[in-house]
Amino acid sequence: MSVTDALAIMPILIAAGAALLVLLAGPFLQARSISWIAVVAAAAAGVWAVVYPAVGATVTLPGLAFTGLSQFLIPVFSAAATLTLLLSHDYNQRRGIKGEEFQATVLFTLFALCVLACATNLLILFLAIESVSFAFYILVSLDLEREESGEAGLKYLLMGAVAAAIVAFGISLIFAGTGTLALTGAFAPEATRPIVSAGWGLVVIGIAFKLSLVPAHLWTPDVYQGAPAPVAAFLSTGSKVAAAAFFLLLLAFSRPLAEIHLPLYLLSLGSMVIGNLAALLQKNIKRMLAYSSIAHMGYLALALLTGSREGYSAVLLYGAIYTAMNLAAFGAIASLSGAEERGELTAYTGLGHTAPFRGAILALAMLALAGIPPTAGFLGKFYIFYAAIRGGETTLAIIGIVTAAISAYFYLKVVVQLYMREPEGAAPAAPHQGTPAESLALTCAAVAILFIGIYPSPILRVLDAALR
Amino acid sequence: MIIPFYHVLILASLLFGMGLACVVAWRTNVIMMLIGIEIMLNSVMLTFVEGSARWGIADGQLFALMLIALTSAEVSLALAMVVYLHRRKQSVNTDDYGSMNG
Repeated sequence: MSVTDALAIMPILIAAGAALLVLLAGPFLQARSISWIAVVAAAAAGVWAVVYPAVGATVTLPGLAFTGLSQFLIPVFSAAATLTLLLSHDYNQRRGIKGEEFQATVLFTLFALCVLACATNLLILFLAIESVSFAFYILVSLDLEREESGEAGLKYLLMGAVAAAIVAFGISLIFAGTGTLALTGAFAPEATRPIVSAGWGLVVIGIAFKLSLVPAHLWTPDVYQGAPAPVAAFLSTGSKVAAAAFFLLLLAFSRPLAEIHLPLYLLSLGSMVIGNLAALLQKNIKRMLAYSSIAHMGYLALALLTGSREGYSAVLLYGAIYTAMNLAAFGAIASLSGAEERGELTAYTGLGHTAPFRGAILALAMLALAGIPPTAGFLGKFYIFYAAIRGGETTLAIIGIVTAAISAYFYLKVVVQLYMREPEGAAPAAPHQGTPAESLALTCAAVAILFIGIYPSPILRVLDAALR
Repeated sequence: MIIPFYHVLILASLLFGMGLACVVAWRTNVIMMLIGIEIMLNSVMLTFVEGSARWGIADGQLFALMLIALTSAEVSLALAMVVYLHRRKQSVNTDDYGSMNG
Protein backbone atom coordinates (compact mmCIF):
# COMPACT_ATOMS: atom_id res chain seq x y z
CA MET A 1 0.00 0.00 0.00
CA SER A 2 1.56 3.27 -1.12
CA VAL A 3 1.15 6.70 0.43
CA THR A 4 -1.36 7.74 -2.24
CA ASP A 5 -3.50 4.73 -1.39
CA ALA A 6 -3.34 5.50 2.30
CA LEU A 7 -4.33 9.12 1.68
CA ALA A 8 -7.22 8.09 -0.55
CA ILE A 9 -8.74 5.70 1.96
CA MET A 10 -7.84 7.79 5.01
CA PRO A 11 -11.45 7.97 6.36
CA ILE A 12 -11.44 4.18 6.64
CA LEU A 13 -8.09 4.21 8.40
CA ILE A 14 -9.17 6.99 10.78
CA ALA A 15 -12.32 5.12 11.78
CA ALA A 16 -10.54 1.79 12.26
CA GLY A 17 -7.62 3.33 14.14
CA ALA A 18 -9.88 5.32 16.44
CA ALA A 19 -12.04 2.28 17.19
CA LEU A 20 -8.98 0.27 18.22
CA LEU A 21 -7.56 3.22 20.18
CA VAL A 22 -10.82 3.63 22.09
CA LEU A 23 -10.90 -0.08 22.93
CA LEU A 24 -7.26 -0.16 24.06
CA ALA A 25 -7.17 3.16 25.90
CA GLY A 26 -10.66 2.77 27.33
CA PRO A 27 -9.69 1.31 30.72
CA PHE A 28 -7.23 4.13 31.43
CA LEU A 29 -9.34 7.13 30.49
CA GLN A 30 -12.43 8.90 31.76
CA ALA A 31 -15.71 8.16 29.99
CA ARG A 32 -15.88 11.81 28.91
CA SER A 33 -12.50 11.83 27.16
CA ILE A 34 -13.30 8.55 25.40
CA SER A 35 -16.48 10.07 24.03
CA TRP A 36 -14.58 13.12 22.83
CA ILE A 37 -11.89 11.03 21.11
CA ALA A 38 -14.61 9.10 19.33
CA VAL A 39 -16.52 12.24 18.30
CA VAL A 40 -13.40 13.94 16.97
CA ALA A 41 -12.34 10.84 15.01
CA ALA A 42 -15.78 10.34 13.48
CA ALA A 43 -15.96 13.98 12.46
CA ALA A 44 -12.40 13.89 11.10
CA ALA A 45 -13.25 10.99 8.80
CA GLY A 46 -16.09 12.99 7.27
CA VAL A 47 -14.10 16.21 6.97
CA TRP A 48 -11.25 14.34 5.27
CA ALA A 49 -13.65 12.93 2.71
CA VAL A 50 -15.01 16.41 1.98
CA VAL A 51 -11.70 18.22 1.57
CA TYR A 52 -9.70 15.44 -0.08
CA PRO A 53 -9.49 16.60 -3.70
CA ALA A 54 -8.15 13.55 -5.60
CA VAL A 55 -11.42 11.86 -6.43
CA GLY A 56 -10.91 8.83 -8.61
CA ALA A 57 -7.18 8.60 -7.89
CA THR A 58 -6.04 5.18 -8.97
CA VAL A 59 -5.77 2.99 -5.94
CA THR A 60 -3.78 -0.21 -6.16
CA LEU A 61 -5.77 -1.89 -3.41
CA PRO A 62 -8.06 -4.63 -4.70
CA GLY A 63 -11.73 -3.90 -4.20
CA LEU A 64 -11.44 -0.34 -2.92
CA ALA A 65 -11.52 3.05 -4.63
CA PHE A 66 -12.30 6.57 -3.54
CA THR A 67 -14.99 7.68 -6.00
CA GLY A 68 -17.35 10.59 -6.23
CA LEU A 69 -19.98 8.41 -4.59
CA SER A 70 -17.69 7.79 -1.62
CA GLN A 71 -17.12 11.51 -1.34
CA PHE A 72 -20.86 12.01 -0.97
CA LEU A 73 -21.66 9.02 1.26
CA ILE A 74 -18.78 9.11 3.75
CA PRO A 75 -19.64 12.60 5.10
CA VAL A 76 -23.27 11.51 5.51
CA PHE A 77 -22.26 8.38 7.43
CA SER A 78 -19.73 10.24 9.50
CA ALA A 79 -22.25 12.96 10.38
CA ALA A 80 -24.66 10.26 11.56
CA ALA A 81 -21.95 8.60 13.68
CA THR A 82 -20.74 11.89 15.14
CA LEU A 83 -24.20 13.06 16.16
CA THR A 84 -25.00 9.62 17.58
CA LEU A 85 -21.87 9.73 19.72
CA LEU A 86 -22.70 13.26 20.91
CA LEU A 87 -26.23 12.23 21.80
CA SER A 88 -25.33 8.97 23.46
CA HIS A 89 -22.76 10.16 25.99
CA ASP A 90 -25.23 11.72 28.42
CA TYR A 91 -27.98 9.29 27.50
CA ASN A 92 -25.72 6.35 28.38
CA GLN A 93 -24.82 7.91 31.71
CA ARG A 94 -28.46 8.40 32.61
CA ARG A 95 -29.27 4.83 31.62
CA GLY A 96 -26.24 3.16 33.16
CA ILE A 97 -24.73 1.92 29.87
CA LYS A 98 -21.09 1.78 30.89
CA GLY A 99 -17.81 0.98 29.22
CA GLU A 100 -15.96 2.06 26.12
CA GLU A 101 -17.39 -0.67 23.90
CA PHE A 102 -20.34 1.52 22.94
CA GLN A 103 -18.12 4.19 21.39
CA ALA A 104 -15.82 1.57 19.88
CA THR A 105 -18.74 -0.26 18.26
CA VAL A 106 -20.10 2.97 16.80
CA LEU A 107 -16.67 3.63 15.28
CA PHE A 108 -16.48 0.07 13.94
CA THR A 109 -19.85 0.69 12.30
CA LEU A 110 -18.51 3.88 10.76
CA PHE A 111 -15.48 1.93 9.50
CA ALA A 112 -17.71 -0.63 7.79
CA LEU A 113 -19.91 2.12 6.35
CA CYS A 114 -16.87 3.88 4.87
CA VAL A 115 -15.64 0.60 3.36
CA LEU A 116 -19.07 0.09 1.82
CA ALA A 117 -18.94 3.52 0.21
CA CYS A 118 -15.54 2.74 -1.32
CA ALA A 119 -16.21 -0.85 -2.44
CA THR A 120 -15.66 -1.84 -6.04
CA ASN A 121 -16.38 -5.55 -5.90
CA LEU A 122 -19.12 -7.75 -4.54
CA LEU A 123 -16.96 -9.43 -1.90
CA ILE A 124 -15.96 -6.17 -0.20
CA LEU A 125 -19.48 -4.82 -0.60
CA PHE A 126 -21.03 -7.88 1.04
CA LEU A 127 -18.51 -8.01 3.87
CA ALA A 128 -19.02 -4.30 4.53
CA ILE A 129 -22.79 -4.47 4.73
CA GLU A 130 -22.60 -7.53 6.97
CA SER A 131 -20.12 -5.81 9.29
CA VAL A 132 -22.52 -2.90 9.55
CA SER A 133 -25.30 -5.29 10.56
CA PHE A 134 -23.04 -7.07 13.09
CA ALA A 135 -22.16 -3.84 14.81
CA PHE A 136 -25.83 -2.91 14.98
CA TYR A 137 -26.80 -6.27 16.53
CA ILE A 138 -24.43 -5.42 19.37
CA LEU A 139 -25.48 -1.78 19.69
CA VAL A 140 -29.18 -2.64 19.81
CA SER A 141 -28.76 -5.07 22.69
CA LEU A 142 -26.26 -3.02 24.72
CA ASP A 143 -28.83 -1.63 27.16
CA LEU A 144 -28.55 -4.38 29.78
CA GLU A 145 -30.98 -2.72 32.19
CA ARG A 146 -33.96 -3.01 29.90
CA GLU A 147 -35.39 -6.35 28.89
CA GLU A 148 -36.68 -5.17 25.50
CA SER A 149 -33.16 -4.28 24.40
CA GLY A 150 -31.80 -7.84 24.43
CA GLU A 151 -35.00 -9.17 22.91
CA ALA A 152 -34.80 -6.62 20.10
CA GLY A 153 -31.17 -7.57 19.51
CA LEU A 154 -32.01 -11.27 19.21
CA LYS A 155 -34.90 -10.62 16.81
CA TYR A 156 -32.76 -8.33 14.69
CA LEU A 157 -29.90 -10.83 14.66
CA LEU A 158 -32.03 -13.78 13.54
CA MET A 159 -33.81 -11.77 10.85
CA GLY A 160 -30.56 -10.18 9.73
CA ALA A 161 -28.76 -13.52 9.52
CA VAL A 162 -31.49 -14.98 7.31
CA ALA A 163 -31.37 -11.87 5.12
CA ALA A 164 -27.57 -12.15 4.91
CA ALA A 165 -27.81 -15.76 3.80
CA ILE A 166 -30.35 -14.82 1.13
CA VAL A 167 -28.21 -11.94 -0.20
CA ALA A 168 -25.15 -14.20 -0.19
CA PHE A 169 -26.98 -16.87 -2.17
CA GLY A 170 -28.09 -14.22 -4.64
CA ILE A 171 -24.53 -12.96 -5.06
CA SER A 172 -23.24 -16.51 -5.45
CA LEU A 173 -25.73 -17.15 -8.25
CA ILE A 174 -24.79 -13.89 -9.98
CA PHE A 175 -21.15 -14.95 -9.69
CA ALA A 176 -21.88 -18.42 -11.01
CA GLY A 177 -23.72 -16.89 -13.95
CA THR A 178 -21.32 -14.12 -14.90
CA GLY A 179 -17.94 -15.35 -13.68
CA THR A 180 -16.87 -12.10 -12.08
CA LEU A 181 -17.22 -10.36 -8.73
CA ALA A 182 -16.35 -6.92 -10.10
CA LEU A 183 -19.15 -4.36 -9.93
CA THR A 184 -18.39 -3.11 -13.40
CA GLY A 185 -19.01 -5.26 -16.39
CA ALA A 186 -21.00 -8.06 -14.80
CA PHE A 187 -22.59 -9.12 -18.05
CA ALA A 188 -24.81 -12.17 -18.19
CA PRO A 189 -24.29 -14.48 -21.18
CA GLU A 190 -27.56 -15.71 -22.68
CA ALA A 191 -26.98 -19.31 -21.54
CA THR A 192 -26.80 -18.47 -17.84
CA ARG A 193 -29.33 -15.70 -17.83
CA PRO A 194 -31.90 -17.64 -15.72
CA ILE A 195 -29.28 -18.16 -13.00
CA VAL A 196 -28.42 -14.47 -12.93
CA SER A 197 -32.13 -13.54 -12.80
CA ALA A 198 -32.63 -15.86 -9.85
CA GLY A 199 -29.62 -14.28 -8.18
CA TRP A 200 -31.03 -10.79 -8.67
CA GLY A 201 -34.38 -11.92 -7.25
CA LEU A 202 -32.72 -13.23 -4.09
CA VAL A 203 -30.67 -10.05 -3.72
CA VAL A 204 -33.87 -8.00 -3.97
CA ILE A 205 -35.50 -10.10 -1.23
CA GLY A 206 -32.47 -9.72 1.03
CA ILE A 207 -32.30 -5.96 0.46
CA ALA A 208 -36.02 -5.71 1.18
CA PHE A 209 -35.21 -7.16 4.63
CA LYS A 210 -32.42 -4.69 5.20
CA LEU A 211 -34.41 -1.70 3.95
CA SER A 212 -37.46 -3.06 5.84
CA LEU A 213 -39.76 -2.95 2.84
CA VAL A 214 -43.20 -4.57 3.16
CA PRO A 215 -43.61 -7.61 3.51
CA ALA A 216 -40.17 -8.00 5.12
CA HIS A 217 -40.71 -5.19 7.60
CA LEU A 218 -41.99 -6.97 10.70
CA TRP A 219 -38.76 -6.71 12.69
CA THR A 220 -38.48 -2.93 12.38
CA PRO A 221 -40.95 -1.64 15.00
CA ASP A 222 -39.71 -4.07 17.65
CA VAL A 223 -36.06 -3.26 17.03
CA TYR A 224 -36.63 0.50 17.08
CA GLN A 225 -38.68 0.24 20.25
CA GLY A 226 -36.14 -1.97 22.00
CA ALA A 227 -32.98 -0.16 20.93
CA PRO A 228 -31.64 2.77 22.97
CA ALA A 229 -32.84 5.99 21.32
CA PRO A 230 -29.43 7.20 20.00
CA VAL A 231 -28.83 3.73 18.54
CA ALA A 232 -32.26 3.83 16.90
CA ALA A 233 -31.22 7.17 15.39
CA PHE A 234 -28.04 5.63 13.96
CA LEU A 235 -29.79 2.42 12.91
CA SER A 236 -32.57 4.19 11.05
CA THR A 237 -30.12 6.41 9.18
CA GLY A 238 -26.78 4.62 8.80
CA SER A 239 -28.00 1.12 8.09
CA LYS A 240 -30.84 2.24 5.82
CA VAL A 241 -28.66 4.56 3.74
CA ALA A 242 -26.06 1.77 3.60
CA ALA A 243 -28.60 -0.73 2.29
CA ALA A 244 -29.84 1.79 -0.27
CA ALA A 245 -26.24 2.49 -1.34
CA PHE A 246 -25.57 -1.24 -1.59
CA PHE A 247 -28.49 -1.66 -3.94
CA LEU A 248 -27.57 1.48 -5.85
CA LEU A 249 -24.01 0.24 -6.41
CA LEU A 250 -25.38 -3.04 -7.74
CA LEU A 251 -27.95 -1.36 -9.97
CA ALA A 252 -25.91 1.53 -11.26
CA PHE A 253 -22.87 -0.41 -12.35
CA SER A 254 -24.08 -3.75 -13.57
CA ARG A 255 -27.02 -2.96 -15.82
CA PRO A 256 -30.14 -4.19 -13.97
CA LEU A 257 -32.29 -6.83 -15.52
CA ALA A 258 -35.84 -6.02 -16.54
CA GLU A 259 -37.12 -8.83 -14.31
CA ILE A 260 -36.59 -6.97 -11.06
CA HIS A 261 -38.90 -4.12 -12.04
CA LEU A 262 -42.12 -5.85 -10.93
CA PRO A 263 -40.88 -7.07 -7.51
CA LEU A 264 -39.47 -3.64 -6.76
CA TYR A 265 -42.74 -2.02 -7.85
CA LEU A 266 -44.76 -4.19 -5.46
CA LEU A 267 -42.30 -3.67 -2.59
CA SER A 268 -42.43 0.09 -3.04
CA LEU A 269 -46.24 0.13 -3.29
CA GLY A 270 -46.69 -2.05 -0.21
CA SER A 271 -44.23 -0.09 1.89
CA MET A 272 -45.73 3.30 1.08
CA VAL A 273 -49.31 2.18 1.74
CA ILE A 274 -48.88 -0.17 4.70
CA GLY A 275 -46.12 1.86 6.36
CA ASN A 276 -48.15 5.04 6.40
CA LEU A 277 -51.44 3.39 7.36
CA ALA A 278 -49.91 1.33 10.18
CA ALA A 279 -48.18 4.42 11.55
CA LEU A 280 -51.60 6.02 12.05
CA LEU A 281 -52.44 3.42 14.71
CA GLN A 282 -49.27 3.63 16.82
CA LYS A 283 -49.30 4.95 20.37
CA ASN A 284 -45.55 4.65 20.94
CA ILE A 285 -43.50 7.33 19.21
CA LYS A 286 -40.58 5.01 18.39
CA ARG A 287 -42.90 2.45 16.79
CA MET A 288 -44.57 5.29 14.90
CA LEU A 289 -41.17 6.40 13.59
CA ALA A 290 -40.39 2.80 12.65
CA TYR A 291 -43.48 2.58 10.44
CA SER A 292 -42.66 6.02 9.08
CA SER A 293 -39.20 4.73 8.15
CA ILE A 294 -40.80 1.80 6.34
CA ALA A 295 -42.86 4.29 4.33
CA HIS A 296 -39.83 6.45 3.59
CA MET A 297 -37.92 3.41 2.35
CA GLY A 298 -40.89 2.82 0.05
CA TYR A 299 -40.26 6.28 -1.45
CA LEU A 300 -36.59 5.36 -1.88
CA ALA A 301 -37.55 2.13 -3.66
CA LEU A 302 -39.80 4.19 -5.94
CA ALA A 303 -36.85 6.34 -6.97
CA LEU A 304 -34.63 3.27 -7.44
CA LEU A 305 -37.29 1.77 -9.65
CA THR A 306 -36.95 4.46 -12.31
CA GLY A 307 -33.41 3.28 -13.12
CA SER A 308 -32.52 6.76 -14.33
CA ARG A 309 -29.70 9.00 -13.19
CA GLU A 310 -32.29 11.42 -11.84
CA GLY A 311 -33.81 8.65 -9.75
CA TYR A 312 -30.44 7.62 -8.34
CA SER A 313 -29.53 11.17 -7.45
CA ALA A 314 -32.95 11.54 -5.77
CA VAL A 315 -32.16 8.41 -3.71
CA LEU A 316 -28.85 9.82 -2.52
CA LEU A 317 -30.32 13.24 -1.78
CA TYR A 318 -33.20 11.70 0.14
CA GLY A 319 -30.75 9.48 2.05
CA ALA A 320 -28.85 12.54 3.26
CA ILE A 321 -32.01 14.46 4.13
CA TYR A 322 -33.56 11.48 5.87
CA THR A 323 -30.39 11.13 7.95
CA ALA A 324 -30.75 14.71 9.20
CA MET A 325 -34.48 14.35 9.90
CA ASN A 326 -34.27 11.08 11.80
CA LEU A 327 -31.23 12.16 13.80
CA ALA A 328 -33.20 15.23 14.91
CA ALA A 329 -36.31 13.18 15.78
CA PHE A 330 -34.58 10.36 17.66
CA GLY A 331 -32.07 12.80 19.13
CA ALA A 332 -34.88 14.85 20.67
CA ILE A 333 -36.44 11.64 22.02
CA ALA A 334 -33.10 10.56 23.50
CA SER A 335 -32.57 13.94 25.07
CA LEU A 336 -36.09 14.07 26.52
CA SER A 337 -35.82 10.55 27.98
CA GLY A 338 -34.52 10.34 31.51
CA ALA A 339 -33.89 7.15 33.45
CA GLU A 340 -36.97 5.79 31.70
CA GLU A 341 -37.48 5.84 27.94
CA ARG A 342 -40.13 8.38 27.00
CA GLY A 343 -42.06 6.17 24.61
CA GLU A 344 -45.79 6.82 24.76
CA LEU A 345 -47.10 9.73 22.71
CA THR A 346 -49.10 11.01 25.70
CA ALA A 347 -45.85 11.48 27.63
CA TYR A 348 -45.05 14.36 25.27
CA THR A 349 -48.06 16.48 26.23
CA GLY A 350 -47.07 20.07 26.83
CA LEU A 351 -43.33 19.44 26.46
CA GLY A 352 -43.16 22.22 23.88
CA HIS A 353 -43.65 24.62 26.81
CA THR A 354 -41.60 22.89 29.52
CA ALA A 355 -38.63 22.05 27.24
CA PRO A 356 -38.93 24.68 24.49
CA PHE A 357 -35.69 23.99 22.60
CA ARG A 358 -35.96 20.22 22.35
CA GLY A 359 -39.70 20.43 21.77
CA ALA A 360 -39.08 22.78 18.87
CA ILE A 361 -36.48 20.41 17.37
CA LEU A 362 -38.87 17.47 17.64
CA ALA A 363 -41.63 19.52 16.02
CA LEU A 364 -39.28 20.61 13.24
CA ALA A 365 -38.26 17.00 12.60
CA MET A 366 -41.91 15.97 12.41
CA LEU A 367 -42.73 18.77 9.96
CA ALA A 368 -39.72 17.76 7.86
CA LEU A 369 -40.73 14.09 7.86
CA ALA A 370 -44.23 15.12 6.81
CA GLY A 371 -42.62 17.00 3.91
CA ILE A 372 -43.78 20.51 4.68
CA PRO A 373 -41.82 23.36 3.03
CA PRO A 374 -39.39 25.03 3.62
CA THR A 375 -37.84 22.02 5.37
CA ALA A 376 -35.53 19.63 3.54
CA GLY A 377 -38.17 16.88 3.74
CA PHE A 378 -40.24 18.70 1.14
CA LEU A 379 -37.30 19.02 -1.22
CA GLY A 380 -36.40 15.34 -0.91
CA LYS A 381 -39.96 14.18 -1.57
CA PHE A 382 -40.24 16.62 -4.48
CA TYR A 383 -37.15 15.21 -6.19
CA ILE A 384 -38.31 11.62 -5.66
CA PHE A 385 -41.76 12.15 -7.13
CA TYR A 386 -40.36 14.34 -9.92
CA ALA A 387 -37.88 11.61 -10.88
CA ALA A 388 -40.62 8.97 -10.67
CA ILE A 389 -42.97 10.88 -12.98
CA ARG A 390 -40.14 11.62 -15.40
CA GLY A 391 -39.23 7.92 -15.31
CA GLY A 392 -42.76 6.91 -16.29
CA GLU A 393 -43.99 5.65 -12.91
CA THR A 394 -46.93 8.05 -12.76
CA THR A 395 -49.42 5.73 -11.02
CA LEU A 396 -47.01 4.80 -8.27
CA ALA A 397 -45.97 8.43 -7.85
CA ILE A 398 -49.59 9.51 -7.39
CA ILE A 399 -50.13 6.76 -4.81
CA GLY A 400 -46.97 7.93 -3.08
CA ILE A 401 -48.12 11.55 -2.98
CA VAL A 402 -51.51 10.52 -1.55
CA THR A 403 -49.92 8.37 1.16
CA ALA A 404 -47.49 11.20 1.96
CA ALA A 405 -50.48 13.48 2.48
CA ILE A 406 -52.06 10.90 4.81
CA SER A 407 -48.81 10.65 6.73
CA ALA A 408 -49.04 14.34 7.68
CA TYR A 409 -51.79 13.35 10.14
CA PHE A 410 -49.61 11.27 12.46
CA TYR A 411 -46.63 13.57 12.25
CA LEU A 412 -48.72 16.61 13.12
CA LYS A 413 -50.34 14.64 15.95
CA VAL A 414 -46.96 14.79 17.73
CA VAL A 415 -46.76 18.55 17.19
CA VAL A 416 -50.29 18.93 18.57
CA GLN A 417 -49.30 16.88 21.63
CA LEU A 418 -46.27 19.07 22.17
CA TYR A 419 -48.00 22.43 22.01
CA MET A 420 -51.78 22.33 22.02
CA ARG A 421 -52.89 19.69 24.51
CA GLU A 422 -53.50 20.02 28.21
CA PRO A 423 -52.30 16.94 30.12
CA GLU A 424 -55.15 14.67 31.18
CA GLY A 425 -54.74 13.76 34.83
CA ALA A 426 -51.14 13.89 36.03
CA ALA A 427 -48.75 15.92 33.89
CA PRO A 428 -45.92 13.89 32.29
CA ALA A 429 -42.65 13.93 34.18
CA ALA A 430 -40.68 17.09 33.48
CA PRO A 431 -37.57 16.38 31.38
CA HIS A 432 -34.12 16.95 32.86
CA GLN A 433 -32.00 19.88 31.75
CA GLY A 434 -30.52 19.42 28.25
CA THR A 435 -26.74 19.01 28.19
CA PRO A 436 -24.39 20.99 25.89
CA ALA A 437 -23.42 17.92 23.82
CA GLU A 438 -27.07 17.07 23.15
CA SER A 439 -27.89 20.67 22.30
CA LEU A 440 -24.95 20.79 19.88
CA ALA A 441 -26.05 17.60 18.12
CA LEU A 442 -29.68 18.71 17.88
CA THR A 443 -28.66 22.13 16.57
CA CYS A 444 -26.50 20.53 13.86
CA ALA A 445 -29.35 18.29 12.72
CA ALA A 446 -31.87 21.14 12.72
CA VAL A 447 -29.51 23.46 10.81
CA ALA A 448 -28.98 20.72 8.22
CA ILE A 449 -32.74 20.27 7.79
CA LEU A 450 -33.32 23.98 7.26
CA PHE A 451 -30.16 24.66 5.24
CA ILE A 452 -30.75 21.90 2.69
CA GLY A 453 -34.39 22.91 2.48
CA ILE A 454 -33.69 26.58 1.76
CA TYR A 455 -30.38 26.50 -0.10
CA PRO A 456 -29.90 23.08 -1.73
CA SER A 457 -27.51 23.99 -4.55
CA PRO A 458 -24.23 22.98 -2.80
CA ILE A 459 -25.46 19.48 -2.01
CA LEU A 460 -26.92 19.12 -5.50
CA ARG A 461 -23.53 20.04 -6.98
CA VAL A 462 -21.80 17.36 -4.91
CA LEU A 463 -24.46 14.87 -5.98
CA ASP A 464 -23.92 15.70 -9.61
CA ALA A 465 -20.22 15.01 -9.21
CA ALA A 466 -20.98 11.80 -7.30
CA LEU A 467 -22.92 10.25 -10.15
CA ARG A 468 -20.91 11.85 -12.96
CA MET B 1 -15.05 -37.22 -12.97
CA ILE B 2 -16.41 -33.71 -13.48
CA ILE B 3 -19.76 -33.09 -11.90
CA PRO B 4 -22.03 -31.04 -14.21
CA PHE B 5 -22.55 -27.39 -13.28
CA TYR B 6 -26.31 -27.61 -13.02
CA HIS B 7 -26.25 -30.64 -10.72
CA VAL B 8 -24.27 -28.71 -8.16
CA LEU B 9 -26.61 -25.75 -8.49
CA ILE B 10 -29.62 -28.00 -7.92
CA LEU B 11 -27.99 -29.55 -4.87
CA ALA B 12 -27.15 -26.09 -3.51
CA SER B 13 -30.70 -24.87 -4.08
CA LEU B 14 -32.11 -27.91 -2.30
CA LEU B 15 -29.78 -27.33 0.65
CA PHE B 16 -30.72 -23.67 0.74
CA GLY B 17 -34.42 -24.54 0.68
CA MET B 18 -33.96 -27.06 3.49
CA GLY B 19 -32.13 -24.50 5.59
CA LEU B 20 -34.82 -21.91 5.00
CA ALA B 21 -37.51 -24.48 5.83
CA CYS B 22 -35.68 -25.27 9.05
CA VAL B 23 -35.64 -21.59 10.02
CA VAL B 24 -39.30 -21.15 9.19
CA ALA B 25 -40.56 -24.41 10.69
CA TRP B 26 -38.53 -24.32 13.93
CA ARG B 27 -39.31 -20.74 14.69
CA THR B 28 -39.82 -21.60 18.34
CA ASN B 29 -36.22 -22.60 19.07
CA VAL B 30 -33.35 -20.18 18.62
CA ILE B 31 -30.71 -22.93 18.34
CA MET B 32 -32.59 -24.69 15.55
CA MET B 33 -32.93 -21.38 13.69
CA LEU B 34 -29.16 -20.89 13.91
CA ILE B 35 -28.59 -24.38 12.50
CA GLY B 36 -30.93 -23.56 9.62
CA ILE B 37 -29.05 -20.35 8.86
CA GLU B 38 -25.80 -22.32 8.93
CA ILE B 39 -27.14 -24.78 6.35
CA MET B 40 -28.23 -21.89 4.11
CA LEU B 41 -24.76 -20.35 4.24
CA ASN B 42 -23.13 -23.70 3.50
CA SER B 43 -25.17 -24.01 0.32
CA VAL B 44 -23.95 -20.51 -0.61
CA MET B 45 -20.34 -21.66 -0.19
CA LEU B 46 -21.02 -24.68 -2.37
CA THR B 47 -22.34 -22.42 -5.13
CA PHE B 48 -19.31 -20.17 -4.90
CA VAL B 49 -16.88 -23.06 -5.12
CA GLU B 50 -18.75 -24.45 -8.09
CA GLY B 51 -18.75 -21.04 -9.78
CA SER B 52 -14.99 -20.86 -9.25
CA ALA B 53 -14.49 -24.26 -10.80
CA ARG B 54 -16.65 -23.38 -13.77
CA TRP B 55 -14.93 -20.12 -14.67
CA GLY B 56 -11.48 -21.18 -13.56
CA ILE B 57 -10.90 -18.27 -11.17
CA ALA B 58 -10.26 -18.26 -7.44
CA ASP B 59 -12.61 -15.37 -6.51
CA GLY B 60 -15.42 -17.67 -5.50
CA GLN B 61 -13.20 -19.78 -3.29
CA LEU B 62 -12.01 -16.60 -1.60
CA PHE B 63 -15.60 -15.55 -1.02
CA ALA B 64 -16.34 -18.98 0.46
CA LEU B 65 -13.40 -18.63 2.87
CA MET B 66 -14.62 -15.20 3.91
CA LEU B 67 -18.09 -16.63 4.45
CA ILE B 68 -16.65 -19.22 6.83
CA ALA B 69 -15.15 -16.41 8.90
CA LEU B 70 -18.40 -14.47 8.69
CA THR B 71 -20.55 -17.38 9.84
CA SER B 72 -18.33 -18.11 12.81
CA ALA B 73 -18.51 -14.48 13.87
CA GLU B 74 -22.26 -14.53 13.46
CA VAL B 75 -22.77 -17.71 15.43
CA SER B 76 -20.52 -16.59 18.26
CA LEU B 77 -22.47 -13.35 18.51
CA ALA B 78 -25.79 -15.17 18.40
CA LEU B 79 -24.77 -17.74 20.98
CA ALA B 80 -23.48 -15.01 23.29
CA MET B 81 -26.83 -13.33 23.01
CA VAL B 82 -28.68 -16.61 23.60
CA VAL B 83 -26.65 -17.27 26.77
CA TYR B 84 -27.31 -13.74 27.98
CA LEU B 85 -31.04 -13.98 27.36
CA HIS B 86 -31.16 -17.52 28.76
CA ARG B 87 -29.78 -16.22 32.04
CA ARG B 88 -32.62 -13.74 32.21
CA LYS B 89 -35.48 -16.00 31.22
CA GLN B 90 -34.21 -19.61 31.47
CA SER B 91 -35.47 -20.35 27.98
CA VAL B 92 -34.37 -20.60 24.36
CA ASN B 93 -37.98 -20.65 23.22
CA THR B 94 -38.68 -17.63 21.06
CA ASP B 95 -42.29 -17.47 22.21
CA ASP B 96 -41.02 -16.31 25.60
CA TYR B 97 -39.45 -13.28 23.97
CA GLY B 98 -42.59 -11.40 23.11
CA SER B 99 -42.71 -8.48 25.50
CA MET B 100 -43.19 -6.13 22.56
CA ASN B 101 -46.31 -6.56 20.47
CA GLY B 102 -45.08 -7.07 16.96
